[in-house]
Order: sequence, then structure tokens, then C-alpha cells
Amino acid sequence: MSFERPKELLKPVRRRFIYTTFALAVLLELIPLPDFIVGWLPDFIGMLILYWVINQPRRISVGAAFAFGLIADMATAGLFGQHALAYSITAYLALLRQRQLVMFNLGQQALSVLGLMMANQIIMVVARMMTGSAFAGWSYFLPPLTSAILWPLLTKLLLLPYRHHNV
Amino acid sequence: MDFANNPSFIRQGPRPGTRLAAAVLTSVLLLIGDSQYGLMDKAREALSVVFYPLQRAVNLPITAARHVDDFFTTQTNLKAENEAMRSQHLAMAARLARLETLEQDYAALRRLNQLKSMRQDAGGLAEILYTGRDPFSYKIIIDKGEDAHLRAGQPVVDDQGLIGQITRVQPLTAEVTLVIDKTLMVPVMVQRNGIRAVLYGYGGGVEARYLPVHSDVRTGDLLVTSGIDGLYPAGIPVAQVGRVERNPDAAFIRLNSMPVAGVQHGRYVLVLNEKTNVPARPPEPVVPVKPKSKPSSDDSE
Repeated sequence: MSFERPKELLKPVRRRFIYTTFALAVLLELIPLPDFIVGWLPDFIGMLILYWVINQPRRISVGAAFAFGLIADMATAGLFGQHALAYSITAYLALLRQRQLVMFNLGQQALSVLGLMMANQIIMVVARMMTGSAFAGWSYFLPPLTSAILWPLLTKLLLLPYRHHNV
Repeated sequence: MDFANNPSFIRQGPRPGTRLAAAVLTSVLLLIGDSQYGLMDKAREALSVVFYPLQRAVNLPITAARHVDDFFTTQTNLKAENEAMRSQHLAMAARLARLETLEQDYAALRRLNQLKSMRQDAGGLAEILYTGRDPFSYKIIIDKGEDAHLRAGQPVVDDQGLIGQITRVQPLTAEVTLVIDKTLMVPVMVQRNGIRAVLYGYGGGVEARYLPVHSDVRTGDLLVTSGIDGLYPAGIPVAQVGRVERNPDAAFIRLNSMPVAGVQHGRYVLVLNEKTNVPARPPEPVVPVKPKSKPSSDDSE
């Protein structure tokens, strides 16, 4: 097992920082953007939930995922509970394998994130189709791809404030 | 597993599986409630109020950018718009002018139509095509001719009075000699007292000649056709007496009069039919006389 991430000592993560990142993600969801960009845009709230579940499982777990899912439902004007359902299930799945995931390097993590985000979308599609909506098209599964591609960047970005020195 | 004396960092609340079950149950209930019964509409409304300022805040940079963009593009837009407006204004002015002409035409046509329905001898409406080219004769060309069964000799009026007489008929047009032409003479009488006279055109105006000095004619008298010829129906206004000159040296009055009809303007005329119940013409005299003038028996009384 190769450790691309140096085993460095990080400052303890503050609760305030976690909630700030979530607030920023909600704001990003609210930005009005042209349709062709929105189709590619990763699900920031879902990515953050996975990140914090993997890296801070004692702070953010199924309950928080459920709560932020409800907020995401509000922000995206979707059906009430669809994001909550998907996020709590994927958060649980990530939590089951959390000790393994946190040891992965960024590439492996990105792959598992791809799978988890895909599961997110599948759950939401099933939920929507069960409640009578039409299939939204295969482009609905594009955001997990961009999420996986952006995962290393997100990790680096969120680690930045917690390094002791800018190495 | 969960003991009362556990340190706080070990106490983690319910197990993840339990939490997941609760979360999934709640989500499914929410989904069903929202999609089937619309239970969440109220909550959604309330939360949207909470979200509204956030949305506005996020939108703020974008709307600001749009405002700035608007400010700079509108300069050119305004110029272009201004130009378009100006040309449109010109076009509208032209259209308005045409509309006014049309309205005048319409009013004239209405009056003529009224006249036509009042008179039994009315022939047909005609439009003036152009005026004759000859500057010495006063003639107009109308757009009806043999096709409308016009004949030379028919009187032509407008809504004010007599204009002239048809003197030549072509297949599709007819030539009308105006009362102010010097070859046209109209037997008239003073409407007020019935004094008869002959009205001569003299090229640009009319005058009644051969009235004795003592005749009772005043400025403002209306001269109407007397109807004692074979052409003009009686009572059509022809001219108004302008200036009366009584010169003791001369045997006759000089009467300057103005035609009342729109002889030199207007666009539509009415062609009247000739009088029908007239006695047969007397045999043609040996000495040639001017056509269409019958100056007999209306000098004075």
C-alpha cells in the first residue's frame, strides 16, 4: 500500500469549519447558472457529506447526512426527502467502510466516491420514479463523474487550513 | 455496549444502523407525504422564506454584473433605437398626411353621394384624372367616358355647384370644359329675383354680360342656372356676384363674379344627365354659332 498522502499531523478540525463548508456548498447550489453548466456541476453537498463522513465520522454521520439532505431538498427544490434518503444511505455505506476508506490514497478514494455518488443518483432516480416522475435522462448521472474528478482537489482544499505549516 | 460510566468520547448515541433505519424511514415518510399528500407544501413555503435572502445574496453579484452590462450596452442600443424611432416617425407622418387626404376625399365623396341620391338626374360619380395641358383653355379630364355612357354636353357639378360641361368623350375618359373657359357660356338667373343673364367664362373667371345698367343686381347675389336651355337643370349654383360696376357711359353692367363650385380644386365630380323632356331642336341656323352656347332670349327683361 503506497501512501501518497503524507502522514502529517493536522490541527483538530473545528465544528464551525465543518458547518461553514456546508453553508458554502448550499450557497453554490443556489447560484443561478445556465442549464448546460448545471448538468455538469458536481453535487457539492453530497461530496462534503462523504468527505466529512470519511474524515470526521464522529462529527458527521447518518443523522447529519439526513439533515443536510433535507436542506439540499430545499435548495434544489426537489421532492422533500429524496436527498435526505440518498445521503443517509450513502453516509451509512461510507461509515461501514470508513476505516478502509480513510487509508486509501486519493485515486482510490475518488473511485469509491464515484461509486457512492452514483448510488446517490440511483437512489434519487428510483425515489422520483416511484413517486411518479419521468426518467430525467442519462445526463442525470454526469455529476458523480465530475464529483470523482474533483475529489482530490476538494481534499487538498479542505486540508489547507489544518496544516501546521504550508509544506 | 453503552454503559452509563463510559467516557463522553466513547458515548456515540445510537448505532449507525439504527440511525440509518430512522433516517430512511423518515425520508420515505417525507417522500410519500410530499408526493402523495402535499403535506410538505407549508414547510416548503416557510423554508423558502428562509432561503430567499440567501438566494438574493447569491444572485447579487450576478445581477450587479448584469446591471453594469446593461449600462454600457444601452448607450449603443439607445442610439439605434432612437434612429429607428426617428425613421418610424417620418413614416408615420407620411402615413398621417395620406390619411388626412383620404379623409378629405371621403368627405367630398360623401357630399357628392348625398347630392347624387337627392337628384333624379344624377349620372355618375367621376374622378378628376388631370387638368388639361393647354394653359389657354380650362379643361379637366375625368376617368369616365364612353364606358359610362357619357355624352358630350352633359353638365358636370360638384357638391357646391356647376363645374362645367362635357365637351369631348373618349372611350375611357372625358374632357370637361370648365365654366371659366372662354368658350363656355351658361344661361343663368339671379336667384334672388330671377333676372336672367348669360355667364361667360373669360379664362380664369366668369362674368355676366349684357345686363342693362338698371338691372337689380347686388354684390353677393347667387347666379344659378335658369334651366331655359336644353342642357342644365334649373337651380344649380354657378357663381356669386362679386363687384358690380355701373358705368353710365356703357350700356351694360360689368359684373365680376366668382364661380362657387370647386372649379380649380377638388377631386370628385358628379356628371348629370341632360334634360330629357325638351322640345325638338330648331333647325340649324345657316350662320355657324359657337357650340353649346344659347344666348338667345336672356339678355334682359
